[in-house]
Amino acid sequence: MGWFSKKHEQQVDRESLEQYLERSKDYKKVSYTNQPTNNQFTLSFISTLIDESILQNNALPYLLEKPFEKIEDLKKLVAMTDVQISDDPSVIEQKLFNGYALLTLESDQKHFAFLAVQKEIVRSVTTPEVEFSVIGPKEAFVESIDQNVNLIRKRLPVKELISEELTIGSLSKTKISILYLDGIVDPENVKTVIERLKNIEFDAITDSSYIVQLICDNKNSPFPQLLDSERPDRVTAILAEGKIAIFVDGSPHALITPTTLVEFFGSFEDYFLNWMLSSFFRLIRLFAVAFSILITPVYVATLSYHYELIPKDLMNTLVTSRREIPLPPILEALFLELTIELLREAGARLPTKVGQTIGIVGGIVIGTASVEAGLTSNVLLIIVALAALASFTTPVYKMGNAIRLLRFPFLFFAELWGLLGIVFCFCLLMTHLLRLTSLNRPFLEPIYPPRVTDLKDSLIRLPFSKQSMRPQTLRTQNPVRFSPPGKKSKKSDIDE
Amino acid sequence: MEQLVPEKAKISPFLVFFLVHTMQFGVGVLGYQRIIAMTAGYDAWISVLFAGLSIHIIVWMMYKILETTEGDIITAQSFVFGNKIGKLLSVPFVIYFLLIADTILRTYIEVIQVWMFQDMSTFWYSLAFCVLAIYIIFGGFRTVTGVAFFGVVLPAYLLFSFFFTIPYADIKNLQPIFDHSIKDLVMASYHMSLTYLGYEILLFFYPYIKDPQKSKKWAHLGVLFTTFLYTSLTLLTFAYFSEGQLQKSIWATLTMWKIVEMPFVERFEYIGIANWNIVILPNFCIALWCASRILKRVTKIKQKHGVILTSLIVLITINLFKSRVQINTLIDYTGKIAFYINYGYIPLLFFLVLIVKKVKKK
Repeated sequence: MGWFSKKHEQQVDRESLEQYLERSKDYKKVSYTNQPTNNQFTLSFISTLIDESILQNNALPYLLEKPFEKIEDLKKLVAMTDVQISDDPSVIEQKLFNGYALLTLESDQKHFAFLAVQKEIVRSVTTPEVEFSVIGPKEAFVESIDQNVNLIRKRLPVKELISEELTIGSLSKTKISILYLDGIVDPENVKTVIERLKNIEFDAITDSSYIVQLICDNKNSPFPQLLDSERPDRVTAILAEGKIAIFVDGSPHALITPTTLVEFFGSFEDYFLNWMLSSFFRLIRLFAVAFSILITPVYVATLSYHYELIPKDLMNTLVTSRREIPLPPILEALFLELTIELLREAGARLPTKVGQTIGIVGGIVIGTASVEAGLTSNVLLIIVALAALASFTTPVYKMGNAIRLLRFPFLFFAELWGLLGIVFCFCLLMTHLLRLTSLNRPFLEPIYPPRVTDLKDSLIRLPFSKQSMRPQTLRTQNPVRFSPPGKKSKKSDIDE
Repeated sequence: MEQLVPEKAKISPFLVFFLVHTMQFGVGVLGYQRIIAMTAGYDAWISVLFAGLSIHIIVWMMYKILETTEGDIITAQSFVFGNKIGKLLSVPFVIYFLLIADTILRTYIEVIQVWMFQDMSTFWYSLAFCVLAIYIIFGGFRTVTGVAFFGVVLPAYLLFSFFFTIPYADIKNLQPIFDHSIKDLVMASYHMSLTYLGYEILLFFYPYIKDPQKSKKWAHLGVLFTTFLYTSLTLLTFAYFSEGQLQKSIWATLTMWKIVEMPFVERFEYIGIANWNIVILPNFCIALWCASRILKRVTKIKQKHGVILTSLIVLITINLFKSRVQINTLIDYTGKIAFYINYGYIPLLFFLVLIVKKVKKK
């Protein structure tokens, strides 16, 4: 009698599960009696995961007072949308831990129902802190995936916005949503993303940063290869371009892929400003990054090897400031750079943002003191402080971190081979960037491979009327964003 | 026809411009002026122009060869001589490209040793350079092309530095024009052609071009751009130096940079030499890439292993050239071999391909 033994096994399974669950104090099992029919029924749930008021208001009154015989009656009985009936005991564990209450009838042990009574602890939507902008929307993502997808759906109310779901992590069972606009996005990209997500082998995924590191193309690169954003408006705009957004439950950051290097230097505020201003700011940022990486190594290189490079008048200033310094330029530079890094790291670990301010003030005090003590030259102090300031201009935090690190190999090569070393290290960096890909798309695009049409929104941002085409690199199904406004007839003249 | 190269490894046709141009424009720029002025005096700029224009014929021939055989030079040789001999004939090219790689790197290191660091170790710098080149070539031909692209675009600002010499230039230096015999001019053209070399790489990376028909125009433009740069630089050098002075400057271009003066920079040639690293890098990489590519095509050695093998050979052989005389001999021999390949072997192959094609058609 095969069916009997199977049923028996299921029974044993349920009992052992129950015994296991009882080890946790927040597992509750309560028995009730339906008053009209005198039927016995049991509710079991994890009390910390459910909202008891839903149970008390929407389910229990009906369950106790209205007559119900069979488990199928339940759907009509209770005032809930999500009631599931099942006879498969293997789902019990998963459902219980997703915040469902399990209902079983004494008379019918085979079937059981799940009532959705999850407790939603959601932080309310606040203003973006990492990607703050003076103008523009002030909403930021929160830790709840449903709330985040809601923020996107509100901005893109079309059926083409597809949201696919996956569960990843052998312990954390993290819910992941992949959002894209069907008919625009390259299906090849979606396939790659889903494939990579499915191949993830990890136990507990607690934030989107885990996903970034697990699915990026090159794991041994300091550069982030997926853009993360906490701004729904930015994610919406990027979805409309034909990219893919990944939401991770429990993370207030959406991931965007594929991405390019120049995107990391664009702040979303650029789109709120006139194109000339935003182009100017983007160029400033690029210059700031180059400055921040190169200036200390150049100082070390010139003062260690190539002082002939410096004109006589400037040399005077440098010599006066370095006259009393006992350390060679490289040690001097390392001392100051490490101080700055220390202050930054300490500032980041201090509880509030005040910590950062204190850190910077401390930096100035330490800096001045070390100049007065004759440990470093004040010219270098200016240079290092400026470089640190410049590195704060990168709008994406993760890219800022990468840039922090880059300075040190440059310093090393500057000490080794002077200017030549700097150029050599630059060649290394260039090659690394050339080889990087994001979702198998070149990371340096549109600079290399050079695509002139994609330059319209890269280092500079042209006016919206010039942005009628989607980026070529994405190979979108529909490359036209909108039909550009018709050209004015050439005949028009002044005052006509 | 077998597919030599997977579609995703191919490059856009217009990038051929950068590949051809960067290979022609290398370490020779720093000091070719003295050599051509030795034979043809200050009429040598005509030779520069003439040699540059003659290349277009060779490029045209190369495209004809490649179009008929639809492959690289190894397919062309197999087409003419049969499979075995065709492959055997390709082996010398490995040595040729290793010689080029050696020449490029050794000359550059010599410049560094003379101008910047007298006691910089040839070995260590070559080692670093080889590691970098291996890293680039492991990224595939697209990365090599990317380095070529940046090797042209990034140092382009150096061209502006030559404007500093204009106030000190005297165009009267060039006069009188045509006071040298045709023979002198041809001799100077021969010397100049050594500086121009490098466009023969087209024969090796041709299968990597998407839509090769379209790349023709870009290859010719690349050559034309090189000719333009060399000619204008020659004119500028001749106007800047007097003839006697030029004969004393081995690296005339570097000497010209000495005049550049900015409020924060003196001795601009230091920046120039350091930046020349970016110019040299693609040349070296392409040479190594070609050598390892031929090895792969002929012997089935994986290109990964081929690159490491060839760079090891470069690393060992480069230490053999120590004195100025030895380096000069190396440059001379590489130049001669390159000249015979480009102006002797390629036209020969061109005619052979044409004949074999006609014979096969019958």
